[in-house]
Amino acid sequence: MAVVNQHLDQALSSPLFRNAERQSRFLRFVVDAALQSPKATIKEFDIAIAVYNRRADYDPRTDPIVRVEAARLRARLREYYEAMPPDRMRIDIPKGRYVPEFIPVEGELAHVASDLSILVPLFRSLSPDPGDQNFCDGLTEEVIHKLAQDRRLRVITQSVAAWLEHREGPKPHYLLEASVRRAGAEIRLTLHLMELSGGGSMLFSNVYQATMDDIFATQERLAERVHGDLSAALHIDNEGSERIQ
Amino acid sequence: MDSTTIRHLQESIALLPMGDLAPVGEFYRRLFELAPEVRPLFKRDMDLQAKKFSDTLAWVIAHLERPHELCQQLRTLGARHSGFGVKIDQYAPVGSALIWMFQQTLGDRFTLEMEEAWVEFYAFASLEMERGSRELAPSGAHR
Repeated sequence: MAVVNQHLDQALSSPLFRNAERQSRFLRFVVDAALQSPKATIKEFDIAIAVYNRRADYDPRTDPIVRVEAARLRARLREYYEAMPPDRMRIDIPKGRYVPEFIPVEGELAHVASDLSILVPLFRSLSPDPGDQNFCDGLTEEVIHKLAQDRRLRVITQSVAAWLEHREGPKPHYLLEASVRRAGAEIRLTLHLMELSGGGSMLFSNVYQATMDDIFATQERLAERVHGDLSAALHIDNEGSERIQ
Repeated sequence: MDSTTIRHLQESIALLPMGDLAPVGEFYRRLFELAPEVRPLFKRDMDLQAKKFSDTLAWVIAHLERPHELCQQLRTLGARHSGFGVKIDQYAPVGSALIWMFQQTLGDRFTLEMEEAWVEFYAFASLEMERGSRELAPSGAHR
């Protein structure tokens, strides 16, 4: 319990939470409730009353403020952990519920979290058509989304990297660079994975070809293949992380 | 954002009556009901404000598949709002009023999946705006 409270205090004193008073109260409320009664459920109504000063006749159907804030809080936590990688544990509020989980990142997991951080800048379009950059942007988003779902990886986007430059702490270990060429409906994605801590040496490279029929489907297929190849290149298996109950 | 979320956002926007600012007027009415403290932040004519909001919403939805441009625009918007005195805590009632506007205007046509898409999108958009206020706004404007 002390570890969780210490971690919570640290998170709430960070710049991302310091000025977000209600979100901080929301997080503290659900963490306190989970610590006091680990098997209890936390209801939208309880949060509305305790954190958002709603009255007893509060109707979550017509005032979805708690659902809105829960989504914002999840996004804020993701951003916080991207900028400040946890060394012992992290708090997660799974989608669809308000009871937080306290997930350890000690030992091997902490090692993985610090070693498997990947900076993913926007993919570049090498085609003359300026509209192709939109496809590249979407593909970058899809790859980031796919990689971010893998809890063993810590994905750092371009905007967060700019922020990290001005902060103390670990820097990204790997850089994923990619470019896209298009000729008619044929797409060629060239990908380079570099080890930044190894002086920028090339760890993995591949060229992927695809036919652009449905844009989203093409992006999703390519992202799936990239994730699979990166997992193999980084020698990570497919087991999930443990959780504290 | 995945393609399903984008589709739900686009479909719900397409269901709003084109060129009719009444739903946006209802959005502001609801916002001021939920958070009366934000009313003094709106100093301009509310019809103009509604038009501006409607145009911004249309631009954002038209650029969902251009994340680079979208994020830049949201950050610029966030910096501007910070300059107007908008606080982080005031983003929450805006999100609630926005979803309420869709519920009231579209009724049963506003599905749970659409609502979920707007909740997710608003979380993303509002945090990008916050980021803009941190990175682009004059020092001290972000609170």
